Amino acid sequence: MKLFEYQAKDIFEEAGIPVPKRKLIESASGLDEALSATGFPCVLKSQVLQGGRGKAGLIQFAKTGQEAAEKTGMLFSPEKNVRKILVEEALKIEKEIYLAITIDPVDCSALIMASSEGGMDIEEIALTKPDRIIKEKVNVFRSLMPYQARNIMFGLGLSGEAFKQGVKILTAMFGLFRKYDAELVEINPLALCGDGRLIAADGKFSIDDNASYRQKNFAVSRDHFSNDIEYEASLEGIPYLLFDGKIGLMCAGAGLTNTVYDLINHYGGSVSNYLEFGGPNYRKALEAMKFTLRSNPRVILIVTFGTIARADVMAQGIADAIKELKPEVPIVTAIRGTGEEDAAKILREMGLTPLSDTEDAVREAVRISEGGLK
Amino acid sequence: MSILINKKTKVLVQGITGGEGSFWTKHMLGLGTNVVAGVTPGKEGQSVEGVKVFNTVKHAVKETDADASVLFVPPAFAKDAAFEALSAGIKKVVIIAEGIPIHDAMEIRSAAMSEGAMVIGGNTSGIITAGEAMMGIFPYWIDRVYKKGDIGVMTRSGSLTNEVTAMLIKAGFGVSTLAGVGGDAVPCTRFAELLPLFQKDKKTRAVLMIGELGGTMEEEVADAIESKIFTKPLVAFIAGRTAPKGKKMGHAGAIVTAGKGTVDGKIKALEKAGALTAARPCLAGDLMKEALAR
Repeated sequence: MKLFEYQAKDIFEEAGIPVPKRKLIESASGLDEALSATGFPCVLKSQVLQGGRGKAGLIQFAKTGQEAAEKTGMLFSPEKNVRKILVEEALKIEKEIYLAITIDPVDCSALIMASSEGGMDIEEIALTKPDRIIKEKVNVFRSLMPYQARNIMFGLGLSGEAFKQGVKILTAMFGLFRKYDAELVEINPLALCGDGRLIAADGKFSIDDNASYRQKNFAVSRDHFSNDIEYEASLEGIPYLLFDGKIGLMCAGAGLTNTVYDLINHYGGSVSNYLEFGGPNYRKALEAMKFTLRSNPRVILIVTFGTIARADVMAQGIADAIKELKPEVPIVTAIRGTGEEDAAKILREMGLTPLSDTEDAVREAVRISEGGLK
Repeated sequence: MSILINKKTKVLVQGITGGEGSFWTKHMLGLGTNVVAGVTPGKEGQSVEGVKVFNTVKHAVKETDADASVLFVPPAFAKDAAFEALSAGIKKVVIIAEGIPIHDAMEIRSAAMSEGAMVIGGNTSGIITAGEAMMGIFPYWIDRVYKKGDIGVMTRSGSLTNEVTAMLIKAGFGVSTLAGVGGDAVPCTRFAELLPLFQKDKKTRAVLMIGELGGTMEEEVADAIESKIFTKPLVAFIAGRTAPKGKKMGHAGAIVTAGKGTVDGKIKALEKAGALTAARPCLAGDLMKEALAR
């Protein structure tokens, strides 16, 4: 789960990492109080999870109360998923530093990346000038050693107070990385200000979903999703993406679902939703079909090849869902795996024609979705 | 021959008294697996399907010389169970659980590497040597997938493995050993680390790799072919060609980031190294024939 900037900064503050004076507002009515905390000039930062906010115009500067009010009114937009704005003091930045900790899955160390050329173009720099990125690998059992923090901070060209502060910030970041089961902790930019202070001007923090059982401080909210259906599906634990095509996908197994998605595109079809109800969800056919129907498909395509996710259990679930939901759109199935003979029998009794080959099923679904007769 | 597991491997089942543990112990025995012991803390003295249960791995190993362990424990306990197996000297561990925290996986892999052990998983169906033995949850009785033969299979998926392997069998091939490295972002064993084993195995003529978008495991396989660590024919199918960028499509490992991990990049790297890549699962069988005829 990705945290919003305001959440990341609260965590940074708790760990002693300097952050700007700031106040979160959820409507324009909170603006005056926020401005009295930040002063002018200030920055108005839309709290959305997508990157590139600056380039998308979702971050605005203001020098006066009137300007701040106008721009706040412009930024708040439920359609663009902007429901919260972080009002901050504008920093006098001399230099932008990039600092991040993530996981290196190959040698299973924590990977620290830093660059003295931080800011909006860091991804470009990573691609074109990889030598400008300083790296340090941290053994998880040995943890971050002081010499490694020094390597990074000297490497960034820091000295004096800024150097000392940099070591402290990186050490605190590493503590947070481990404490909160983070996949990514990133400060970009870490601002070196005119007065010599280092301040985390932005923050990205991503917590491993598999660790949510022991990271109870944070929960996903509607703000994490671009529409209601994806949010509600996530509460059910069902991976779901909404698209604007014609075939409602109900598949089991992420790899197989990705493959069916590819095959639909290969045969010139389009997808109205991606839904995966395998693994622990294989008894949730009813919920899966409800979510699928909400994407307004012209046809539902169900493809499975399960082992633990038994074909007969899934077929029975689908039969029960059809009885309850009475979908008006045609349903194409290729349900295979453990118990597949019984599954085919159940589906035939429902008046369906079960197929056994994935590509046959995909072609049939594409044909129907493009106006062919059932 | 085979890799990782055969009829002689002395298999321990951690979490043997649980629902999944006992159910799959029955089927592992059914295939012919030499399951020598089970472990569930507090249940020593019981037996499951005729297999003796011990309180600790240490005791089980002392009594039975178990040399491999398959874990049927919930994800929150996987780290403890894996470390228990490693500390008892077991060098082959399979973790079935889906949902192991990444930091735990990082510690497990890190420890396995420094101890010269191989931990496979999590989020996997396990490993199976067709017609001989398995550590995992394979419906080996489905003959159109788990037919004995001489093609090694390595995969990140479950259902997709059935789909693609069935195409291989349909084309007349069979499977030597099938190893699932799992669908997580931090698999404890990576594809390229299985290649030296398949290279050495006389019964494996070629390898089918079932990959997916995200991560760099398929690129590492290309590197291993380029540097002649693996010289047998390799055919790959990789899912997620048309996945929208930046969207998380199910598997935690399947995330496209910053130009790396795209299916296009993987295919280019593999083909440059001399591997054949199947654009669709149904082409895997014919491509395997072509690869072997070269």
